[in-house]
Amino acid sequence: MSGHRLLFAMQTLGVAGRILTENMRQRRALIFWAVFPALMLLLFGWIYGSNPTMPGSLDTTPAGILIGAALFFSCLGGTVSILVAERERRTLRRLLISPLHPAAYFLGIVLALSTIALLQAAIVYTLAYLMGSHFYGSFWLGVVIVALSVFAYVGLGFFFGTRFAKRAEDVNGPVAAFGVPLLVLAGTWFPVSLLPKFLLQIAWFDPIFHMNESLKAVAGRGAGWSELADNLIFLAAFSAVALAVGIASYRRMLVVEKRS
Amino acid sequence: MSMVRFAGVRKSFGEKRVLDELSLTVERCEVYGLLGPNGCGKSTAINILCNLLDPDAGTVEIDDKPASGEVTRVLGVCPQEIALYRDLYPAENLRFFATLYGISGADARKRIEALVQMFGLAPYARTPISALSGGWQRRVNIAAALVHAPQLLVLDEPTSAVDIEARHELWEMIEALKSSGMTILLTTHHLDEAEQLCSRVGIMKAGRIAREGTIAELLALVPAKIIAMVETAHQDAVARRATEVGWGIRRYAGKVACLLPHPLSLREVVHALDGLEIDSVGLQRVSLEHAYLEVVHDEQSDASTLTNDPGAVRETVAA
Repeated sequence: MSGHRLLFAMQTLGVAGRILTENMRQRRALIFWAVFPALMLLLFGWIYGSNPTMPGSLDTTPAGILIGAALFFSCLGGTVSILVAERERRTLRRLLISPLHPAAYFLGIVLALSTIALLQAAIVYTLAYLMGSHFYGSFWLGVVIVALSVFAYVGLGFFFGTRFAKRAEDVNGPVAAFGVPLLVLAGTWFPVSLLPKFLLQIAWFDPIFHMNESLKAVAGRGAGWSELADNLIFLAAFSAVALAVGIASYRRMLVVEKRS
Repeated sequence: MSMVRFAGVRKSFGEKRVLDELSLTVERCEVYGLLGPNGCGKSTAINILCNLLDPDAGTVEIDDKPASGEVTRVLGVCPQEIALYRDLYPAENLRFFATLYGISGADARKRIEALVQMFGLAPYARTPISALSGGWQRRVNIAAALVHAPQLLVLDEPTSAVDIEARHELWEMIEALKSSGMTILLTTHHLDEAEQLCSRVGIMKAGRIAREGTIAELLALVPAKIIAMVETAHQDAVARRATEVGWGIRRYAGKVACLLPHPLSLREVVHALDGLEIDSVGLQRVSLEHAYLEVVHDEQSDASTLTNDPGAVRETVAA
């Protein structure tokens, strides 16, 4: 491995390790990130269990919970929090002066939050299994969808975090204002079949829609790679754009920070 | 060969020119103090040195190379604020910053152990930064700037907001770094700190170096060795008498400062002021603070503002 690649890999792992250590030490965020999806799953399981005529099923519910209640907050909200904390603690200036590559910083966050996402997925699906839910599709396809979802969420988090959140008090604002409508549009809490045609057309441009649809299809009816090609291509393209936008947003944030 | 060289550096933000033909040189292995009131351009100069800002004109060199890209790796910067990860232990912070510079494994361990020992951090090995006192946080803040073994250390007000005891401990750390041959560029508003630590000092005013020299050279700017500080409600009368007996006059911090051309005892000073209503009088040796005021006074376009408003002088020093 060349010197630059080795440095890049070290920086990526360093950023990821630091974020995970901080989370382990704080614990509170980790606990909430586990408790919230678990409670949501229990509630939705109860609702579906008592209303068998409702559209949707217990097999697809964990996918929606994982995408909308777990990853949304840990990966999108988490990214915004990381960026804001970096700015508030003034560590951003140290990072600026160091040779940290913006892409290594982005990927370090993706790696740390992917680890948390996998733990959340394990909790959600273990609980779902105990409640009688089944995962019919390919495990690895599920992992790929979760990984792409993390990437996309981190990209969105970078965008919101660098543009709209300057202080800790600002974190919830952009996440609620932009994120929650995207969740609703994506059919996180109800089947997209309930959406009017016009909203469904708009929803197709919502990355969370593709996360939900693909993971629900894999879990609920065992859909394969080819069937989900459109969703996966959209998510992969969005992830690539997210990486580019994330790096650009980070660079923009550095320029602003340099002037401050 | 110099370690840092600013030559004719200009920088403006909008209409405001912050650096105006700034030129200064920091020699290897010296501690250079950059002083000046708020807004004089110190921070902008440091940001340009750290490659955080581009100058509009002029050149900045580190180790005889333009201050950009790879060259800035020889630079260690300790910002004024505590820029550390509060939930991590001291060594974890150091390890993270080492990683950013590609230092890992045995090299990192060795380097971190040396810094932990040097800064006395061993008793706090399992204490998160957030649980450390301000003085200990400052130590880790400086250690984090040294983890990649830089040749040049920039200390931006390293002892701001710490108690006297912690400040003196930090001075010992900086003295130790100085003894090890490290080049240090120090900004501070504590003039006693600059006097204690710096080999040379540059006093900035309106974006350029107004005066520069060793501490002895700057002290020589004050036309006295001893200053009698007189507290009185009748400042003009005291000033007149002082002038009559051949003393220089300044007004610092609401007091009349009588610049004694040759040392006198307190009894002799009181005798010279006999018949005037004074509240207190004390003798002081000339310090960098007086030299600083002398430079600021000298460079002020409206010197009367300073002499008629001693509070303004105090604000300048304390700012």
